[in-house]
Amino acid sequence: MEIPYIVEPRKDTGLNNSKIAIWLFLASEVMLFGGLFSGYIFLRIYADYPWPERTLPVLPGLINTFILIASSITVVFAWVALKLGNWRKFQIHMSITLACAALFMVFKAVEYKAKLEHQAIRLDDYTVIEGHAYPQVKGGDKKITKNLNIKASQVQIDLKRIDDIYYETMGAQYEGKFTLADRLELNSGTVFEKDTEISKSMIDAAKEDLIKALANNSNINIAVARQASSDAGDQPHLKGKRYYDKDRKDFIAKRTKELKTAEKDNYADVTESLTFKSKEGKVDISVNPRWGKLSNSKEGEDGTLKLKDETLISGTTANSSIEIHVDGIDFRHTVMKAVEKGIDPEAAINNSWLLKDAGMKLIWDKHLVSVAKLEESLVGTDHVPTDVELYRVNWQEIAGLEKHSIADLKGMTHSEIKKLFPGDIEGFAGPNHGKVTYPAITVPREQVRFEAVFSPRWNTYYATYFTITGLHGLHIIGGALVLGYYLFFGRKMFDSNPEWLANRVEVGGLFWHFVDLVWIFLFPILYLM
Amino acid sequence: MSDHNDDHHDHHNPGFIQKYIFSTDHKIIGIQYGITALLFLLFGFYLMMVMRWSIAYPTEPLPSWMSWLFTEDWKAQWLEEGKLPGETYNMFGAMHGTIMVFLGIVPLGFGAFGNYVTPLQIGAPDMAFPKLNMASYWIYVIGGLMMCGSFFLESGAAKSGWTNYPPLSFFADSQYPHQFWTGQTQWLMGLVMLISSSLLGSVNFITTIINLRAKGLTWMRMPFFVWAMLVTGFLLLLAFPPLEVAGIMQVVDRMFGSSFFQPSGLYHQQIGLSDASGGGSPLLYQHLFWFLGHPEVYVLLLPAIACVAEIIPANTRRPIWGYKSMVYGVLVLGFLSFIVWAHHMYMTGMGPAISAFFQTTTTLISIPSVILLTCLLISLWGGSIKFTPPMMWACAFLPMFGIGGLTGLPLAFNLVDLHLHDTYYVIGHFHYVVAPGILFGFFAGIHHWFPKMTGRYMSRTLNHLHFWPSLILMNTLFFPMLIQGMAGFHRRWYNGGDAYLDADPESVNVFGRTVAEHIDLNVMMSWSAWLLCAAQIPFVINLFTSIKFGRKTNSDNPWNACSLEWATPTPPGHGNFIEEPVCYRGSYEYARPEVDEDFYPQWKKPVENKTKED
Repeated sequence: MEIPYIVEPRKDTGLNNSKIAIWLFLASEVMLFGGLFSGYIFLRIYADYPWPERTLPVLPGLINTFILIASSITVVFAWVALKLGNWRKFQIHMSITLACAALFMVFKAVEYKAKLEHQAIRLDDYTVIEGHAYPQVKGGDKKITKNLNIKASQVQIDLKRIDDIYYETMGAQYEGKFTLADRLELNSGTVFEKDTEISKSMIDAAKEDLIKALANNSNINIAVARQASSDAGDQPHLKGKRYYDKDRKDFIAKRTKELKTAEKDNYADVTESLTFKSKEGKVDISVNPRWGKLSNSKEGEDGTLKLKDETLISGTTANSSIEIHVDGIDFRHTVMKAVEKGIDPEAAINNSWLLKDAGMKLIWDKHLVSVAKLEESLVGTDHVPTDVELYRVNWQEIAGLEKHSIADLKGMTHSEIKKLFPGDIEGFAGPNHGKVTYPAITVPREQVRFEAVFSPRWNTYYATYFTITGLHGLHIIGGALVLGYYLFFGRKMFDSNPEWLANRVEVGGLFWHFVDLVWIFLFPILYLM
Repeated sequence: MSDHNDDHHDHHNPGFIQKYIFSTDHKIIGIQYGITALLFLLFGFYLMMVMRWSIAYPTEPLPSWMSWLFTEDWKAQWLEEGKLPGETYNMFGAMHGTIMVFLGIVPLGFGAFGNYVTPLQIGAPDMAFPKLNMASYWIYVIGGLMMCGSFFLESGAAKSGWTNYPPLSFFADSQYPHQFWTGQTQWLMGLVMLISSSLLGSVNFITTIINLRAKGLTWMRMPFFVWAMLVTGFLLLLAFPPLEVAGIMQVVDRMFGSSFFQPSGLYHQQIGLSDASGGGSPLLYQHLFWFLGHPEVYVLLLPAIACVAEIIPANTRRPIWGYKSMVYGVLVLGFLSFIVWAHHMYMTGMGPAISAFFQTTTTLISIPSVILLTCLLISLWGGSIKFTPPMMWACAFLPMFGIGGLTGLPLAFNLVDLHLHDTYYVIGHFHYVVAPGILFGFFAGIHHWFPKMTGRYMSRTLNHLHFWPSLILMNTLFFPMLIQGMAGFHRRWYNGGDAYLDADPESVNVFGRTVAEHIDLNVMMSWSAWLLCAAQIPFVINLFTSIKFGRKTNSDNPWNACSLEWATPTPPGHGNFIEEPVCYRGSYEYARPEVDEDFYPQWKKPVENKTKED
């Protein structure tokens, strides 16, 4: 028997197999994206920080919406062409569909790139500043300056926990500069004299030796424990006593001690960590901030830098500040915390660390003028300025008001000020640092509460944005692969069984429409709300 | 989606690899699922035996017959002088749960029985999408190997419970720079694989059942087994994606540093203040997890009930009692299982209003469950019961599952749950459901359909050696858990309560005295567990020797059953049926007056007039 209803529909259900399957699959997709959207709602409702409202540039998203809608139409045309038996037309329409998919991904990539280059810092007083964290020279060195720096005099390596990747990356900074603090004699007989230079091979040898020693000691201990417990079983007065019985416990403790003493010579020496001292003076060490933590981030004081694998680098903390060109200031979190503590928000802002900088103060003062003008324009209406309008300075405002003095602004109306702001084209995927020189500020490490680029790390909004759009992008790629397969390898089936191919394209088209539909939900939720 | 069904060019002499490894035949895939799942079950069992040693004898090193599987390096890293430290116990516990649920029972019930039996029972030549079927099996294998392979990673396997709650799971293994190669991440990736596999499978099953039923097999003539598979398919289809979402979100949390499930100001004793932005919600994870988690229980259970519902009528020689109420019952059960999830979360402080809602729906869902069990029980009434091997297991299933179900009722109530939450009572309850309940159902199923797969019966003697010890030991293993649980034993004590023990009768430590009264049950339970493992040996021998040496069946329908799978040749070839089957009646037409035999198969042409004249 062959599998029926591959092409023609079953009479009582009116559907062929793949039609049923695709609708079921879409139902599960609805649950998948439904779960993500519910997660988004949940996280937004219960957020304990100001939600970043309408922070994404709208234009790329809007264009992408139209691209996807267009592709949904052409995929239907392609299906119709197949139904009419017109291969040429099918090819054209399907090609347009795939081109739209590719274009969509290009815009997405542009957006992603802009996000991942955009740094944000939450300061100790919850002020948030945004900008680019590398020198702004065009075509210049774009190395991000966020590393943790320390002038080290000692490195202590935990042999049990040391992770090769840290040594491979950091090793070049140690090698030739640090030497062994104490003589090290391994159980295998190898000896490293005091002042031997640090090397991977020495650490590996010590690590291997440690594991062997631990295994050896553990085997002895196991044998001892087994012996002690069987001896306890042989004692008439301990017969039938469970392990927690006091007499039995005492007996076992005593017996274990005896047996361990007897085995004394068989135990191997255990060296769990190696200490290295710097050869001369202090050595500059620079570490990726994700890999370690400074015990004291204030420059010029004693401190340690602890890597995730428990490697302990101690010395004097060095300059670990972040230089950032500011294109956004946000005091909403400061205000939120101030309100929680019952402090006047204005005072909290005025006392903030950021406004001690003259450049930032100027931006803020201009913003206050612009807010005053906004309030003026709202007189007589029911509206009041939102928190975003009151406490957030965005890049349009910084760029637009850069060349105007406070006195100029005082003479303008709200709508005149608004007109100074650059439009959507200039900031297509975000603030354009090539065109405008944004004011720079150096943030010392002790002022940094949290820092990240606009990646999933920065907050749950960006995490949701990347996760949902990423999954959606994977759906686009998957759908395009399937449709592309029909386009490039469908000719044979078109000649032998055109109805079957049309069915497949129909099913692929249904999936494509679903992917489009998801975007139509995504766009307003992520870009407009 | 559609490009998986071009089986047109299937040549009829496929090579060994194509026939047995990368097969698209639902029967071979079913058997593959079955063997793989049984192997995973065995591994999960082994992990549990090691854990039970730590519970019964926390101060003594593992005996060598238990630790021979570990390498020297592994012992050095994960055992403390031969004893199981808390972290390793947690790892074993988490993996035991995961393996048993996701890699053992679900694939055995849905994957193995569903795949083998469903197309046969509806008279279909194969699943609707054979290649998709193969893909879902292999994705399942890859997912399973990812999870189990993580035992050999430097970080060890996942160690945050089978539920993987953040923030516990967030901190676990967080010190490793290659987040991808840690047990926690591998667990999540493996889970995403397993879910994808189940999704493909469920799409395939539902499509097959809707569209590939034989001529005349109307909905109400379908065996209950098929109904159960249909509902199971829908549960998998709709409940699994939210867990997939949760898994993906946790992967993003781990690998890209986001804070979906990390609240602000998270602090860890060793790691210090978490270097994450915060602002997420651990509660969100629990919602997403249990939205799957509860339907999952029925994904485990329904295939077992389905097996039993086929076996009881065939061995009582009378129709199943209340077929229609069972069908509607299972549909209602499927629906309700989506709105009871938060009864796992009474202790999270959701508030009395939400708790009251879920308490109500949870008590409601016991109604369809009881309908199913009652129908099966009443089916025995007045039947001429034949205690064949499958029937023995089916008969044991009924009371065992009954205990499992009834001990669940107190947990549904908010107030009672305050006391019982996270105690051994909960463990006892769901192990009664899953081990002597569901597994017994599956043993019944294996004995029932084995003759169809091989043309030979499984040995009765070996079955007795398997059945009776299993039945007794399951009870001596799980019943004490209920007692200990009510005494307040926590489910995650790696030393069986040793740390709380206070044997002094005059002690002011009242809880310590309670612990002392119940701690010795640990020994009995542990020995039951180890002996239970020994009791499975006859089954393994039986399963493999009967293929070659079992007693031969004398017909294609050895149990004289009525449903369509018995109309196929033995074993069924590619395409299953020699000629297209036609269905004339319901699937439980035993003891009909129209025919001389005591069964009236679905595929037999009606003979009413002739019999009357004769």
